[in-house]
Amino acid sequence: MKIKGGVFLFTLVTIALLGIWSFFPIYWMIVSSIRPERDLFKIPTFWPETIDWQFTSYKNLLELTDYPLQFMNSVVVALAVVFITLIISIIIAYVVTRYRVPGKTFIVGSMLYAYMFPPLMLAIPLLSIFATLGLSDSLIAVILAHCTLTIPLGVWMLWGFFKVMPFDLEEAAMVDGCSRAGAFFRVVLPLSLPGMITVSIFSFLLSWTDYVFAFVLITSDSNKTLPVGLASLIGSFDARWGELMAGATLIAIPLFLMFVFLGRYFIKGLAAGAIKG
Amino acid sequence: MQGFRTRSDKALKWAFIASLSIILLLILVPVFHAIQLSLFQSESFISNKNWVGLANYIRILNDVVFWRSLWVGLVFGLLTIGLQVFLGIIFALFLDRSFPGLPIIRGIVILPYLLPTVVVALAFQWMLDGTLGLLTIWAEQLGFGRPSWFENSYLAMTVVIISSVWTWTPFVTVSFLAALQTIPKSLYESAKVDGAGLWSQFWHVTIPMILPMLMVIILLRSIWMFNKFDIVWLLTKGGPSSATEHLPILAYRRAFLQYDVGGGAAVATLSFLILSVLILIYFYYFPLEDKESSN
Repeated sequence: MKIKGGVFLFTLVTIALLGIWSFFPIYWMIVSSIRPERDLFKIPTFWPETIDWQFTSYKNLLELTDYPLQFMNSVVVALAVVFITLIISIIIAYVVTRYRVPGKTFIVGSMLYAYMFPPLMLAIPLLSIFATLGLSDSLIAVILAHCTLTIPLGVWMLWGFFKVMPFDLEEAAMVDGCSRAGAFFRVVLPLSLPGMITVSIFSFLLSWTDYVFAFVLITSDSNKTLPVGLASLIGSFDARWGELMAGATLIAIPLFLMFVFLGRYFIKGLAAGAIKG
Repeated sequence: MQGFRTRSDKALKWAFIASLSIILLLILVPVFHAIQLSLFQSESFISNKNWVGLANYIRILNDVVFWRSLWVGLVFGLLTIGLQVFLGIIFALFLDRSFPGLPIIRGIVILPYLLPTVVVALAFQWMLDGTLGLLTIWAEQLGFGRPSWFENSYLAMTVVIISSVWTWTPFVTVSFLAALQTIPKSLYESAKVDGAGLWSQFWHVTIPMILPMLMVIILLRSIWMFNKFDIVWLLTKGGPSSATEHLPILAYRRAFLQYDVGGGAAVATLSFLILSVLILIYFYYFPLEDKESSN
C-alpha cells in the first residue's frame, strides 16, 4: 500500500508542523527566561548553549520589581471572582430551571448578550462609576468588573447543566424526607460538580488573563494585577527580555498546571462554546 | 417546574432576586452610563459634564478617523476570522484520526489559547525585537535585511493578525474537533461505496455536517475579534501612525489620552450598536428555545 504510506507520512509531517507552530513561541519564551543574559545578546541558537542555573532573570524579577505583590493581587482577584461567580450563578441558574419564573428566556438571553459586550463599553463607564464611588484604583473595582464577564458565563453554563439534570432525583430525595434545601445540597450540588468545576476554571481563566479591565481601572503599581504589571515593565525595564520572559512564564505556569490536571473539564467547556475571547 | 411555596422556597426566591439584581446592576448600569456619557462633553471622569445632546455622535461620524478605524477593524476582523476558521478546520481534520501520541499534540495545540494576551504579545515582541529577535535575525539571514516590523504599516498589521490567529485558532480547532466526532462513520463509508474521493467526502459529508457549528463559530469569532482591544494595544498601540487603530483603540484613545470622554463613549456606543446587529443575527439563527429542546 504505497499510497497509504505517503498519506501517513504527509499526515505525520503536517501534525509535526502543527505542533511546532503551536509550541515554538512558548518554547522560545521559556528558553529565553533561563538563558544567561550574555547569550540573549548573541545570535540565538535553537537549543540553549548554557542554562543559567542561578535563574538570574527570575531572581531579578522577583527581587527588583512589584511582581510578587502583583502575583498576590491576581490570586486574590481571581479567587474572589470564582467565589462570587459560583454563588450567584448557581442561585440564578437553579431557580431559573426549577421554578416558574416570568421572563426566564429573557434572563438567560440577556446573560448571553452581556457576555458578548465590547469590553470597553463596560470598562469606560465602570471607571466613571467607580471614580464617583471612590473605588477606582482598587482590587474591588477589578473584581466587580471581572464579574460582569464571569457571571453571565456561569449562568449560561450552569443553566445548560441544571436543565438536563432530571428533576426526579430531587423529587425522590424530597419524598424520602429531605427538605428542598437538603435535596439541593445532597443531590443537586454533588451531581453538578463537573459543571461547577468548569465554571470555576473559566472564571479563573478570564480573571487571571484579563488585561483590559485591570488596565483601565488600576493606576498604581501596587494594585496592578499580573498582566498589567508585566506589560508596564516593558517601559520601565527598557526591554530586559530575560526578566520579561521569566514574568511571562510565571503567569502561564498556573494555567498550564490547571490544564494538565483539569484538562477534560476545560475541553468540555470549550466544546460547549463556553469562553469569551 | 413549580411555584415558590415552602419556607426554603421563599428564602431561595429572595436569594434569586438579590443575585439577579446584582448582575443586572453590574451590567445595565454601565451600559446606560456609557450612553449617558456619550451625550455629555467632559475632559475626564471626574470633571464637570456639559450636556451636548448628539453633538459627540455628529462630530465622530463626520470625522474621517472614525471611518478609517472602522475600515481597519474590518480588515483586522475579516482576515483574522478567515484565517482562524481556515486553519482551524485543517488542524481539526488532521487531529481527528488515531495517531500515536495524538493526545499530547492535541494538548499542545490548545496551549496558545490558554495564554494571557500579555504573554502572547510579549512572546511575539521578543521574537520580533529589532536587534535580538529571532525572527528579525532569520529575516536578515534570508537576505531581507532587518525588517522594522512595527514601523511599517503593512508589517505591523501582519504581526497583529498573525499573533491573533496564533492565539485564537485553538478555539476553532477544538470546536470543529468536537463537531467532527459527532459525524457518524457510516456516512463516510456509504460515500466511499458511491465512489467519493477524499475531497468529495469532505465537501459532501463533512462540510454539510459541521455547517451549523461553522455558523456559530464564525459569528462568535466575529463578535469577539471586532471587540479585541488588548492584543492590538499591547503590540502596536494602534500605530504606526494609526495604521492598526480600530474602533476599540480609538474609543480608548479618545476617552483616556485626548481628554474627550464623551467622544470615547460615543465611539464605544457606536461599536456596541454595530456588534448588536451581529449578536441579534446570532439569536435569530440560534434561538434559546431551540437549544432547550435539542438538549
